Amino acid sequence: MLEIFSYGFMQRALLTGAVLSIFSGIISVFIVLRRVSFLGSGISHAAFGGVSIGFLLGINPLLTALVYSIIVAFGIEQISSKGRLAEDTAIGIFFSSSMALGIVLVGLSASYNVDIFGYLFGSILAITTGDALIAVCTTLFLMGVIFVIMKELYFITFNEELAFVGGISVRLIKSIFLLSMAIAIVVGIKLVGIILISALLVIPGAAAQLLTKRFYRMVFISCLISLFSTISGIIVSYLFNLAPGGTIVILLSTVFFVAFFSKTLNNA
Amino acid sequence: MNAVEIKDLDVSINNREILKDINLELVEGKFLGIVGPNGSGKTTLLRTIIGIIKPTSGNIKIFGSIPFDAIQKGMFGYLPQSQKIEMNFPARAIDVVLMGIYSRLGTFKWPSKKDTDRAKEMLSIMDMSGHENESFGDLSEGQQQRVSIARALINNPRILILDEPSTGIDVVGQENFYHLLKGLQKKLSLTIIMVSHDIGTVTSYVDEIACLNKTLHYHGSPLGALNDAVIRRLYGKHVDIMMHTDLCEKCERLHSEQKD
Repeated sequence: MLEIFSYGFMQRALLTGAVLSIFSGIISVFIVLRRVSFLGSGISHAAFGGVSIGFLLGINPLLTALVYSIIVAFGIEQISSKGRLAEDTAIGIFFSSSMALGIVLVGLSASYNVDIFGYLFGSILAITTGDALIAVCTTLFLMGVIFVIMKELYFITFNEELAFVGGISVRLIKSIFLLSMAIAIVVGIKLVGIILISALLVIPGAAAQLLTKRFYRMVFISCLISLFSTISGIIVSYLFNLAPGGTIVILLSTVFFVAFFSKTLNNA
Repeated sequence: MNAVEIKDLDVSINNREILKDINLELVEGKFLGIVGPNGSGKTTLLRTIIGIIKPTSGNIKIFGSIPFDAIQKGMFGYLPQSQKIEMNFPARAIDVVLMGIYSRLGTFKWPSKKDTDRAKEMLSIMDMSGHENESFGDLSEGQQQRVSIARALINNPRILILDEPSTGIDVVGQENFYHLLKGLQKKLSLTIIMVSHDIGTVTSYVDEIACLNKTLHYHGSPLGALNDAVIRRLYGKHVDIMMHTDLCEKCERLHSEQKD
């Protein structure tokens, strides 16, 4: 079994998966506490529109997905912050219109082939050295950014108004968080795909919240759950010839339900 | 020195006029109560004073600074009406108190042992010693208010702003809470602005009262607010006000506690 670690594709998959899962573990805590799970789901599905623009124009779909997702993330934020529409309504509109755009553009694109499935369901085992390098460097940079603003983000998550009056630059910190979330989603598409990336952004934080009432412990446990599920998912999927993205999310869900039932039993 | 100066303030939200022609001055160290019926603009006035809402016209000075600068100088300690904190939000009482110094610390710097000791001291002043490591969501509303005041005061603000702080606290708890505020005002030479819908209770504790219903109907000594003409202007009809006097049994209990 140990020989799987000697394969180049497996080393790339494990390294990228490990770094990305730790970052999604951190982001997940804030997504769960800020109750913006649907925003993550909306941005990831909107990314499909961005991917299809890349296919149509013949440029790297991840690049177009990145630009498109950032525009969508800030578009949702702008519309809902002006109070014209509720956030979930704005997400619903961007979510469905971007998916529709993606379906139409993919139909028009000459490169309609299995590649699109790689973006929808993830293709971590097929990741190239170049893509792995970009994913790891981007994620490490974002991780650094989040560490720098972590306590401010924590305060804003606790109460935005108090943080504002307490002298925190709420708008700036929220924008950095939104940007990090959009980039994490696009980078994570390679790992589990557009359809399942929201699981990676929600489940680790949700499971960790069941297990502790301390913030830094919650971040640590969330990262641990995310890392464990991702690494095990990649290995198990290779050994049993399963889809890696689906396997990772099934393992994440399993950990969540174990945490949920153990908490329920403890409270009983 | 004036702690707050409000001149010709108008505030409209979504084209609806909420506050009109507000003029108010508050001297440093005074305890001001803002009262008025529901929807009278009390919370809007507080949120405009602390810079969350921008005025449509007019201006506000906090110790000579505009609200944004006052925030940057750490002048405000703020307690909102509702904190809407999830019960299982991962924050201990001491974590909440320490949030009050995050801005002063700057990015990528974490509270030191000295900061933690100061947070414990603030909790002790609020009579919350021994609750440091308890989850904030598990505390009662009264205890949460005390922790929140500790957070608001840890950065040595010059003005404490409270929006309906006694909501969700029982009657005895409310009286103890107001006594606590009065004590803090004297001990820390704090200027306090508190919004309340309970005119009867507030008049017993504040130095000045402002009666608001879109515009200021009265600003002055608390007893003046109980004038029937003021009450009629404020509420649009006659209202009987219940308040504590020296003969009140509850007050006697509190007076004897103070003597002890």
